Amino acid sequence: MIEVRGLHLSLGDFRIENLNLTVKEGAFNVLLGPTGAGKTLILESIAGLRRVHRGRILLGDEEVQHLPPEKRGISYVPQDLALFPHLTVERNLAFGLRTFPKDFLKKDPHLGLLVETLKVEHLLQRHPQGLSGGEKQRVALGRALAPSPRLLLLDEPLAALDPALKNEIQQLLISLHRSLRFTALHVTHDLEEAYLLGERINVLIHGRLEQSGTREEVFLHPRTWDVARFLGLRNLFPGRVLKAEGAEDSMNIGLWGRKIVIPSSHTARSVSAGEEVILYLRPEEVMILRPGKPVKESLRGNILGGEVERILDRGTHRWVLFRPSGLDVHLEINLPNYVFRNLGLQEGQEIQVAMRRESFWVIPTK
Amino acid sequence: MNFGKAAIAAAVALFLFYAVLILSLLTFLEGQRFLEVLLAPDTLFSIRLSLTAATFAMILAVAIGLPAAYSLSRFQFPGKKLVDTLLELPLIMSPVALGAALLVFFNTPFGNVIQERGILFIFEFPGIVLAQFATIAGLATRLMKTALDEISPRYEAVARSLGSSAWEAFRKVTLPLSLRGILSAMILCWAKAVGEFGATVTLAGTMAFKTETMPIAIFMSLASADIPKTVILILILAGIGLTALYAVRLVEKRPPVL
Repeated sequence: MIEVRGLHLSLGDFRIENLNLTVKEGAFNVLLGPTGAGKTLILESIAGLRRVHRGRILLGDEEVQHLPPEKRGISYVPQDLALFPHLTVERNLAFGLRTFPKDFLKKDPHLGLLVETLKVEHLLQRHPQGLSGGEKQRVALGRALAPSPRLLLLDEPLAALDPALKNEIQQLLISLHRSLRFTALHVTHDLEEAYLLGERINVLIHGRLEQSGTREEVFLHPRTWDVARFLGLRNLFPGRVLKAEGAEDSMNIGLWGRKIVIPSSHTARSVSAGEEVILYLRPEEVMILRPGKPVKESLRGNILGGEVERILDRGTHRWVLFRPSGLDVHLEINLPNYVFRNLGLQEGQEIQVAMRRESFWVIPTK
Repeated sequence: MNFGKAAIAAAVALFLFYAVLILSLLTFLEGQRFLEVLLAPDTLFSIRLSLTAATFAMILAVAIGLPAAYSLSRFQFPGKKLVDTLLELPLIMSPVALGAALLVFFNTPFGNVIQERGILFIFEFPGIVLAQFATIAGLATRLMKTALDEISPRYEAVARSLGSSAWEAFRKVTLPLSLRGILSAMILCWAKAVGEFGATVTLAGTMAFKTETMPIAIFMSLASADIPKTVILILILAGIGLTALYAVRLVEKRPPVL
């Protein structure tokens, strides 16, 4: 386990105070946050490239915050990769090794596997300036992993890539990680990238670690309003807790003048009656009811009638903007294309939608 | 005339200005005396003295200027702006004033101690080296800082994360990457030291076969109204300078590594 405890950092006027972060060993951890959240500052501090004012950085049982970068066993890949232009690919790969006798890449099984997985054998005698963007990425990863680091830090290395190349390198990172099971902390502001790569995701906003968890925990169950907003979540509505502990382990939330019954476990922390909360309803979870079809008993309390205001073809799905009758709100609905075709929806059409109680997530505002 | 043509005309005018200066020397050139002056013992001594002193001055300037340039390029420290500004002092200060300042310094109690118990500078070879060093050290530091500024500190950051100490990261990464800029700086400063006159004459004097560098030899022959000899000495000095500048171009012409 790699742990950051009570870390205090500053850069100009920007401050990070009392940061606690756990990097799961052998996992691909992601530090996700908007630009300016302090992600790179944290990464550079862990790497030993910035002074830590206060706090501890633990690699296993060893405190490393006072050690220089070369004594930490932490490899670092910056956004621009910083491949050494005066050295061949082979020398770049060998840079972090204590010794590199002739044919070292073939003799060392770890390096052999690395070179094979990265497909860089044919590049060994070339210089970085002659390589394509993808080849540079592979060499940078190989160079960082060659000394078998205790932790690999990746500072948005995919940020400047075109979508096709980004996809290729993401796949490469996944297969590399499956083969070598190294511990990684990958910094990104890209939600898709975080979801794809992150076995454990840490959300950092304004220098504060807002949430840590699996990708499902973070993306489906945001703990705070800031996280929900950063994740670009739709269908966030202000509500009020009517009853914190209702029947059958549920709570009652007042929304749009009606009572919504939600399982008690569907909140990041326990809430109390009268508390203002945000209700999150995933656009994929809103059900459009077919006229004349029977409705389940459990759905009957949460049905809204209204009009389809707008439909957009998003390629992978249809995005439907629904306005409930008599309410000044909009509900966004994502429909799989085949469902959309079956329903034959049109703009201006009057429909009924149902909201499953299990589909709501309650975000405390305080 | 459009802006582009006007700019080119200015460049041509500048070229002509220097070309006319050099060509005007040829009107007083006595070709048959060229070899006689070049091979004369006093000229050979002056050339040797100039080249040797300039080499020592340049080595000193790099030995102190390179770490100084590195610190100015990479670190923030109190007084950094002041140090940075002081480096430009030799560029704007008259070399004679710089030499006079050195002369005054060696007449202070501390300067006297150095002279009496250490190395003799006034009217001696070390004085020439020191005068030339004083003239080029700031320039050398400034030029080497520019060369180091062009190398991203990320290279060193990555090198250190891969197990290199700060010194190893500098030696294995930053130095090779900035070597071309540093070499150019060395050659330029060496050429400037070879041509240095004001500070040298003030501190080391004009003693033949002792402190008479090439620029001083030119001044002395002009003072004795031997114009043909002066012209030949100027051409020799110009030849050394132009060779150095050509060497800089050759260093810069190599394909970039970045």
